[in-house]
Amino acid sequence: MSENNTTLRVANVSKHYGEFTAVNDLSFDVKAGRVFGFLGPNGAGKTTTIRMIVGITAPDEGAIELFGETVSNESQNRIGYLPEERGLYKKMKVQDQLRYFAALKNVSQAEADRRIDFWLERMKLAEWKTKKTTDLSKGMSQKIQFISTVLHNPDLLILDEPFSGLDPVNVEFLIEVVAELKAQHKTIIFSTHLMETAERLCDDIILINKSRKVVGGTLREVKGSFSKNLIALRCVGGSAILEDKSLVAKTITHADEIEIELAENADAQVLLKRLIENGASISKFEQIEPSLNDIFIEKITGN
Amino acid sequence: MRKFLAVVKHEYKKIVLKWSFIIGTLLFPIIAAGFAVVPAIIFSIKGEPTRIAIVDQSGKITARLKENLSAERMTAKTAQAMKDSMKNLDAPTDERMKNSAEQLVESFVFTDYNADEKSLEQIRRELGEKITAKELDAYLVIPENLNAADAKYEFRSRKAGDFGGERNLRDALNEAVRSERLAGANISETQLEDLSRNVDFDAKSLDEKGDEKDSDSVFFASLIIGLMIYITLAIYGQMILAAVVEEKETRIAEILFSSARPFELMMGKLVGVGLAGLTQLGIWIISALVLVGIGVAQMSAAGMDISIPNISPLMVVLFFVYFLLGFFIYASIFALIGSMVTTVQEGGQFSFPPIMLLLVGFYFSFAVIRDPNSQLSFWVSIAPFFAPITMPVRILAETPPYWQIALSIFINAVAITGLIWLASRVYRVGMLMYGKRATIPEVWKWIWQG
Repeated sequence: MSENNTTLRVANVSKHYGEFTAVNDLSFDVKAGRVFGFLGPNGAGKTTTIRMIVGITAPDEGAIELFGETVSNESQNRIGYLPEERGLYKKMKVQDQLRYFAALKNVSQAEADRRIDFWLERMKLAEWKTKKTTDLSKGMSQKIQFISTVLHNPDLLILDEPFSGLDPVNVEFLIEVVAELKAQHKTIIFSTHLMETAERLCDDIILINKSRKVVGGTLREVKGSFSKNLIALRCVGGSAILEDKSLVAKTITHADEIEIELAENADAQVLLKRLIENGASISKFEQIEPSLNDIFIEKITGN
Repeated sequence: MRKFLAVVKHEYKKIVLKWSFIIGTLLFPIIAAGFAVVPAIIFSIKGEPTRIAIVDQSGKITARLKENLSAERMTAKTAQAMKDSMKNLDAPTDERMKNSAEQLVESFVFTDYNADEKSLEQIRRELGEKITAKELDAYLVIPENLNAADAKYEFRSRKAGDFGGERNLRDALNEAVRSERLAGANISETQLEDLSRNVDFDAKSLDEKGDEKDSDSVFFASLIIGLMIYITLAIYGQMILAAVVEEKETRIAEILFSSARPFELMMGKLVGVGLAGLTQLGIWIISALVLVGIGVAQMSAAGMDISIPNISPLMVVLFFVYFLLGFFIYASIFALIGSMVTTVQEGGQFSFPPIMLLLVGFYFSFAVIRDPNSQLSFWVSIAPFFAPITMPVRILAETPPYWQIALSIFINAVAITGLIWLASRVYRVGMLMYGKRATIPEVWKWIWQG
């Protein structure tokens, strides 16, 4: 893989705190211009890994490369990091806080002021520019924090649970903004345990649990490898076919449809053909992919 | 470097642009100006002169009394009283009242009244009527026989609250009567003065070069400078604590640490807050110097002999140097505490030890003022933690040899280097530890971990 399209490379990284291993031999690549889902339950080692990427802590073993170089103060200026636990200065004006955060990323004040105006406008918060944090609602504070993450026009955005505490309207709004950033060829790392959102947004994912990588790849690959040949069926008649053990391994009857797990090596097309031949009247026949949520639960609980 | 400066600017502005800072910084000189200037203004305001009629039945007192109440005598008395009040701070209340009464310049206008051939009753009635008609403010009846056991000096006044005027009159009257009695005993006024004159006790201490200085003013100036440094160190130390805890509590530290090095962030904070402290102390000290100058000018204009301690520009520079040394010592301790705890309240409990150290340093400064050249004064003005308060006091009380100042600065600078190193080790880990207060063994581990 060339440096041009790999924004981040994590290679065999481990981090220990005394006896406790927070991250164990973790490796993955994040490609430029993609949305990368960094998934895992609480305590899996996500925040520790992110802290190493943004240069807050250093790995004990392994290496992290950002934009083709090791993590440095230079690379920090190209990252926008929205931590899961985050806050603002309580008694400071919105504009002053944003200026300070921009200055810490080496943005000149004139440039910062221009971008602050742009982003406050974009986030529909222009009239809050000179208000103090204590005057803002929780959702507004969240959006200000998001602005502080993108203010220095970073090439890599790391968003740790960006939607927690936001109402659905604002979640949709933020997703829209993230999509715009992606269109500008920014790389985005999403850390979340909301699988539905991850499924909607991510091109690639990695799932970690108990400090180790469990599964990773493009969303499609991961889902494909977990396909269990499930079919959702709604029909009248044909019940004899469903009892054929060479075709159907298991059926679960829901209110108005039947979930079918195909027998090993059985073909969905054959099942459909047999049902029709049998005179069943079919109103729904759908091959279902496992949701990310199913994969998550299965992998984490170890079934 | 740019990020460090951004942090410095941020911390400085955060403090200096607050109302509390602006008010606190300006209020001190205004209050001090109030103490220095307002009394002088009030003293210079002369009340309406008291119109008084004197009925001297003995015929021997009036001349002396009028002389004693003359404007020149009153001014001289006022100046003496003002000086006494400044020298004798722990005087009993009564004496203080007397002093402040005497500081009010009183003037009397004598109204002629012909009491010839009138009975005492008649005199009382007539003068009483004049007072009621507001033609007169007071009258005094001096008895015929000054030395009779039952001799009464009757004073009646319209101004019930004018205890100052009453006291002044009484003193003048006592003096006049005493003089008359002495004359009766054939002792002249000058003889008496010679006999009862106080010794001239000229208390001044000698400094290194053998020059004299006024010990009273040195005592106050030393005490004030010690107190000023103690207070600013305590206040600005607490400010560091609050600023560190805020960033930890709100989790802003996480964003900061992903943007700049922890050491840069901590030093930026210390320097920014330190500059704010320097700004405040600078305004205070400059206004104090100006006010003392004005006060001295006023008092010497009022004919008072007052001396101020000789403060050289080098001393002023050294005060600022010691403020900064003290600031960095205590600020790094407070930064360390701030990164250990989770809330400001918790930090408050932990700030007891450094505040105690400061207080002990302040108490040592009394010992230093009393004897600036003792062994104890030497050691406490060299020792880290105490020197930032005790050394400026000592310099003002009696400037020690320069090698001692140099040694003291060096030792404190070494202490600062060590403390900042310790604080930055704890800061870098502690700021990202949420949820619970760190224990001492944990902190010990953070210091040594890579």
